[in-house]
Amino acid sequence: MFGGLREKLKAARQRLGGSIEAAAAKAETEEKAVPKAGSPATPSAPAKGPVTSTATPSFVEKVRVLITERELIVSEKDVDEALSELEMTLLESDVALPATDAIIASVEKNLVGRHRKIGESVDALVVNALKVALLDVLGSGFNLKEYIMTHERPVKILFTGVNGTGKTTTVAKIGSYLKKEGFTVVIGAGDTYRAGAIEQISVHAERIGIKVIQHQEGADPSAVLFDAVQYAQSHKLDVVLADTAGRFHNKANLMSQLEKIKRVMKPDLVVYVDEAVAGNDAVTRAFEFDKTVGADAVILTKADMDSRGGAAISIAHTIGKPLMFLGVGQAYDDILPFEPAKVVDELLDSGA
Amino acid sequence: MDQNELMTLQNYLQEYGQQAEIFVQQLQMLENGRLEAHAAIESLEEMLAADGGAVLLQIGGGASVRAKVVEPEKVLIAIGSEVIVERSNKDAIDFLKERIMEMEASQKKVAETLDRLRAQMNEINKRIESGYQQAMAAGQNPG
Repeated sequence: MFGGLREKLKAARQRLGGSIEAAAAKAETEEKAVPKAGSPATPSAPAKGPVTSTATPSFVEKVRVLITERELIVSEKDVDEALSELEMTLLESDVALPATDAIIASVEKNLVGRHRKIGESVDALVVNALKVALLDVLGSGFNLKEYIMTHERPVKILFTGVNGTGKTTTVAKIGSYLKKEGFTVVIGAGDTYRAGAIEQISVHAERIGIKVIQHQEGADPSAVLFDAVQYAQSHKLDVVLADTAGRFHNKANLMSQLEKIKRVMKPDLVVYVDEAVAGNDAVTRAFEFDKTVGADAVILTKADMDSRGGAAISIAHTIGKPLMFLGVGQAYDDILPFEPAKVVDELLDSGA
Repeated sequence: MDQNELMTLQNYLQEYGQQAEIFVQQLQMLENGRLEAHAAIESLEEMLAADGGAVLLQIGGGASVRAKVVEPEKVLIAIGSEVIVERSNKDAIDFLKERIMEMEASQKKVAETLDRLRAQMNEINKRIESGYQQAMAAGQNPG
């Protein structure tokens, strides 16, 4: 997942580290050339590793001395170029501009300045700055299990989004996930518009062993979903998953239908579903949907086919709504709760 | 195999068919993007080779005009996230080549998924056919 972005971040991280090391080495050389009054004429020996008594210290040794024994001072100028490259890397990976700006500002804030006795490598310093920046823009995620456990049941979840992004399959995957977690679930077949949608969700529901409430094709989706809620209440079920027809935010009649659905079924959560491969388009569409009908969380499908990762990185920061799940394949189990720390560790190869 | 089972298999087949259709559309979009990037690379190389001379500029509908590019060395290129940056001709070509590689990698993944879906569809088709044959042999009406 997001292999392309991972490679690019690796290169950006090396570039940043290289810039800091070069600046540190330069500072060391200058310090030696102009010794301060009262300071010893000879440089202090490195604290760790073998001491080379005769030869001039190597580049790496100089840097090691600087960052383990003294303080490392990084100026804006030192990392300016490397940060510009990081900015390009993020934009090329389809990370939205506001998210890119936030990442760059955070990395700069964490790198520029004095680092006293850090006792760690420059790379670790850079990785940490990137980690903090990415975690900031990724937000805290959304723990659906916890949400269900702490709210009055049945928890009603309405799924919305544009056509062809895998919404119905996602509803089935989440049904399967929740069932495995021990919750009782009913699915409302609210996509009464698309030919075959009711059969599609019924087939899924049958395979995963979940009850589906359905009317005939062309029926009022509000009525179907109202029935699904009634069913859940009378059977004391934990969750109602409400599928709806795909629609674009600029189709007024379909959007007012969604408003009606919201009025009738009163969802606890409105979840926007789009595909990760759509990149920045997914972010823009999520923003528009949120403005029109509101959204509490986002699910991105087909993340396994997305090497750039732009949508996943920027969506939470850009629309201010957390990412809940990532769809990563065709099987029912191919859905991952979005855990920012894990994603960041994977992107920076810094996991345990 | 009873009628219900046959119906379920038909539904599975339809569901897989719809998914496969979406992946075929995605493959087509990726292929269009790839061809467009190749065409852009060719144009950028031709513009440099023209060395200030006229190049043919397609304006749609099969019509072209002769045009002189004021700065063939400088290219404005959309790098993603609706951001357009100025790059040198060479850097723009490198960027487009990288994009082509990304698109080819994505095409490979989508094609693999599509192959898996098709294999599953074939399997279901075989089971449906064998179900029909069994029903025919038993003198039932499968439909």
